[in-house]
Amino acid sequence: MRSSRLLALVAAGAASIYAAILPKIDLPKDSPVAVIGADYGDSTETARGGAVVVDLHASLSLRNSSGRHIRGITLLVRSQEVTPGSKGSVTLTSLDVAPGEAFPVRMDIRLLRPVTSLGGPLELGLDGVLFDDLSFYGPDNLQSRHTLTVYEIEARRDRRYYKALLAEGGPARLRQEVLASLSRQVDRPDMEVQMTRASRATNLEPERPVQFALLHLPDSPVEPTEGMAKIAGNEARTPRLEVHNKSDRAVRYLEIGWLVKDGRGRQFMAGTVPATLNLPPGEKAQVLKETLKFPQLGGGPLSIDSMTAFVSNVEFSDGKMWVPSRADLGDPRLQSVLAPSPEEQRLVQLYRKKGLTALVDELKKF
Amino acid sequence: MKHPPQDQLALFAGGEAGWFESWSVRRHLVACPICRKRAADFSQDRQTVRNLSVELPPEVEWNRLADEMAGNIRVGLAAGEAIAAFDRPSDDRTSGVAGARTSWLRWNAGWAIAAASAVFAAAFWLNLPNPQAEHLLTALRAIRVDRAGKLVQPAAPAADEVVVEASGSSIQVRENGGSLALLHPRSDGLTISVNMQGSAGARYIDSDTGQVTINRVYYAQQ
Repeated sequence: MRSSRLLALVAAGAASIYAAILPKIDLPKDSPVAVIGADYGDSTETARGGAVVVDLHASLSLRNSSGRHIRGITLLVRSQEVTPGSKGSVTLTSLDVAPGEAFPVRMDIRLLRPVTSLGGPLELGLDGVLFDDLSFYGPDNLQSRHTLTVYEIEARRDRRYYKALLAEGGPARLRQEVLASLSRQVDRPDMEVQMTRASRATNLEPERPVQFALLHLPDSPVEPTEGMAKIAGNEARTPRLEVHNKSDRAVRYLEIGWLVKDGRGRQFMAGTVPATLNLPPGEKAQVLKETLKFPQLGGGPLSIDSMTAFVSNVEFSDGKMWVPSRADLGDPRLQSVLAPSPEEQRLVQLYRKKGLTALVDELKKF
Repeated sequence: MKHPPQDQLALFAGGEAGWFESWSVRRHLVACPICRKRAADFSQDRQTVRNLSVELPPEVEWNRLADEMAGNIRVGLAAGEAIAAFDRPSDDRTSGVAGARTSWLRWNAGWAIAAASAVFAAAFWLNLPNPQAEHLLTALRAIRVDRAGKLVQPAAPAADEVVVEASGSSIQVRENGGSLALLHPRSDGLTISVNMQGSAGARYIDSDTGQVTINRVYYAQQ
């Protein structure tokens, strides 16, 4: 009797510890997705030195409760007590979830907090859902609408491209292109990055003025016209970049991609800088204001030798978006360093895992 | 002829025997075809296991263990420094004849301990298997670089600094002594992207579901 009580007490204790590490899932009442299952498998909370480590392995099952196909979703991950200002997100894109259909969302999260801090639960929320008609639902605190729409437009572009290859040259031509993509993905340099948000300048190296190289994509509605900055280590200080709207529509948002060559001659895609603006047709505007602090690569210091700017995507004032065409992406300067779109990566992976027939079947779906 | 034991042969074949053991087994193998054959079999088995180990889950890896080891040693050194500062005697205890005698004794004891430590370190090093020695060296080198780094970088990280890091296994944001990390499997197709207004992402294809997953962490201002 006593032992069974003890066992029950231990079980209750274990259950309460387990419950303490489970996330709090908060979806809006009119959310187009509903949680129909959650499995936290071997999630644990362990003390390590002066810290507590929570390892959460979550496998959620969500159902599309809307009347449209879901193409992408972004979930917000937050821990108010541990990282009060910062947050994370998990995005699924290149989806095709029919109304009423369920789909899995897996996330592995590690939270490390000092023993002295209060450990509130992890919070999972919805930032946005993109549908097949490009309509969007969600609070959009992480700019998910823009990001998911860009992914979807890129996906349509790449599916169209692969379908055209299949129609023109049959499966052999498709295979040739997929293998070329695979080869580019393998050759692309790996990146391990570290970025610091510091309240002060972090290096004392002398500044030198550098004129930006500009990459003009023929199909782009906006092009960079001139720019320069003072380079010191991995920072581009007091940067100036002028862009020209060549289109007949006003532009409200764009992203500049940066190709950086370091002191050792390595060229890589260093990142993007967003700009919110109101740029009427035919007009020019400055898009950079603050120092660009490029990430450190592989833990080592980065010394910038040269920088090349290009317009990586544009959002017009009517909400329509532009992304580079396949022809634009064929520029050798971009091809060697730019990552494929999520959809291209998925299709190539499908070919690797399941073969050409599976890829052809997938392209026929929609 | 006395043959070396099986475990010694296995360690030798894997390059994990200590220096003296290796030397003695090598001498024996020159004259003994049976043991030479056994050692060759052990090497082959080891290669097979190594090939299989490519399939091991990503969390089982030496780099991570080495990191933890380096962390533990670093903590040990820091603790040692703190204790040494606390126990340091005051100058007046070493004044006068008694003080000089105490000082002389202390020097003798110091030399004895140093000599014993040197002998112990040499014996330990000679008997340490090669792979473990390499890991230990790497770990110590990491600590040395860390400590030297502190000397050349006068400014310590500010308390309000937020760090975003992306690597082959996770993407994380560190803030106020805590961190939030989103883990991803090690994958050939892993793509790291950076938005210089304060976020970094890692994109991969989930091998079970085939879904494109993008984990991202954000600085405070977004």
